[in-house]
Amino acid sequence: MQTTPDSTLIEQMMAGDEAALSILYDRYSAMLFGMLMRILRDKQSAEEILQDLFLQLWRSAGRFDASRGSLPTWLLVIGRNRAISRLRGKSNREVTEEEDGDYANGFVSSHNVEDEATRTELRGTLNAALNKLPSEQRQALELAYFEGMSQSEIAARTASPLGTVKSRVRTAMQSMKGMLAGY
Amino acid sequence: MTDRHANPDDLELYALGALEGEDRLTLKAHLKTCAECRRQLASAAQTASLVGLAVDPVAPAASVKQALMARVHAEARPAATQKTLAPVRKKRWGLRFSLGFAMATVILALATTWLWKENQRHRQEAARLGAQLEAARAEAAREGEDLRAVAEVISAPDTLTVTLQQQAGGPPGQAHVLFNARTGLVIYAGQMPPTPEGKSYQLWLVPTQGAPVSAGLVEPNQQNGTVLVRLPQGLSPKAFAVTVEPLGGRPQPTGPMVLVGALSS
Repeated sequence: MQTTPDSTLIEQMMAGDEAALSILYDRYSAMLFGMLMRILRDKQSAEEILQDLFLQLWRSAGRFDASRGSLPTWLLVIGRNRAISRLRGKSNREVTEEEDGDYANGFVSSHNVEDEATRTELRGTLNAALNKLPSEQRQALELAYFEGMSQSEIAARTASPLGTVKSRVRTAMQSMKGMLAGY
Repeated sequence: MTDRHANPDDLELYALGALEGEDRLTLKAHLKTCAECRRQLASAAQTASLVGLAVDPVAPAASVKQALMARVHAEARPAATQKTLAPVRKKRWGLRFSLGFAMATVILALATTWLWKENQRHRQEAARLGAQLEAARAEAAREGEDLRAVAEVISAPDTLTVTLQQQAGGPPGQAHVLFNARTGLVIYAGQMPPTPEGKSYQLWLVPTQGAPVSAGLVEPNQQNGTVLVRLPQGLSPKAFAVTVEPLGGRPQPTGPMVLVGALSS
């Protein structure tokens, strides 16, 4: 069966179609909930953030330029920000959600992850890319992404100089980008 | 540094939210004026977001979706297009609700919506015209339903009227609610000071038994745009209240009550 594009569903949501939101929830909730659980390790908190995330999507559907394919990225960015804020007991992250939302909406997704099979395939590629990273690079990347640590916190945790942390994170990100380039 | 390109290391860390202190402030200022660095940041942010996609998916409990859809249904529409109906005046109840004025302004709102749709339609690709026409028809049908609903609430003999008053020590304000238990329809109009940053005002129906039921978010100054909310039919309220909640509202009240109106028994 043909997958209804996100852009069509967002237009339908703007017209007040609750069924369109239901489809988008079914499409992306497990992806998001997995990430939220990995960050928070608390089911109730993850459920609250997941629900709030889709409620915001319903209320703010008009903000998206859905033709650019940025919806899953927007969901991942905002969901991660909220989870890290909750994890670290902050009411607001230094990088605000508004700003992050603009980033997410500002770039064209090169990966079409609207169907489950593609997401599964990309997930395998991503994990392979992460597994190929040297352990210290992967650790720095994961401490930043999943625990929301700052550069100095990562340096303290890994007993590494700040400059080393910066270069590890950058090298890890560049390596991942390179490994995904041909995808 | 704002006129020189950013340190690439900093861009990657910024995308992850890990850049801090002076480095972060400097980069943030630079980004406002440098399109190239914004492009590089977008690329880094996209790579960063993929880290989250690498995690194995976990299906949330079905109750999460049920609660979400209930909240969405209670709001009836996305906030961006939430029905905002003009103030209504009803001398019979001593409140500022008027059926004629409400109908006229609702028709004006319908006309405005229609004009907006027309403008949008001209910008769309030809291939989308059919789908948009269908959406416009559905929208018009919903507008008609709301118009009939407003008329019914105002004219029904079993409609309850409640005045919500400010609480001791709380911000000044007042609101009026019309509620019809048979249809579940709520009309709200009120005025309060702006919410604190990151907060929303949320309207609640407090039933005679059980937990409060959300009637959605309300604007601080809702006098110039009355809100129509659809709640489940048959609720038996003992009061209506407005609380201050985290932005976007909560399934159950967590913040202080700023307006309360009890029903006379």
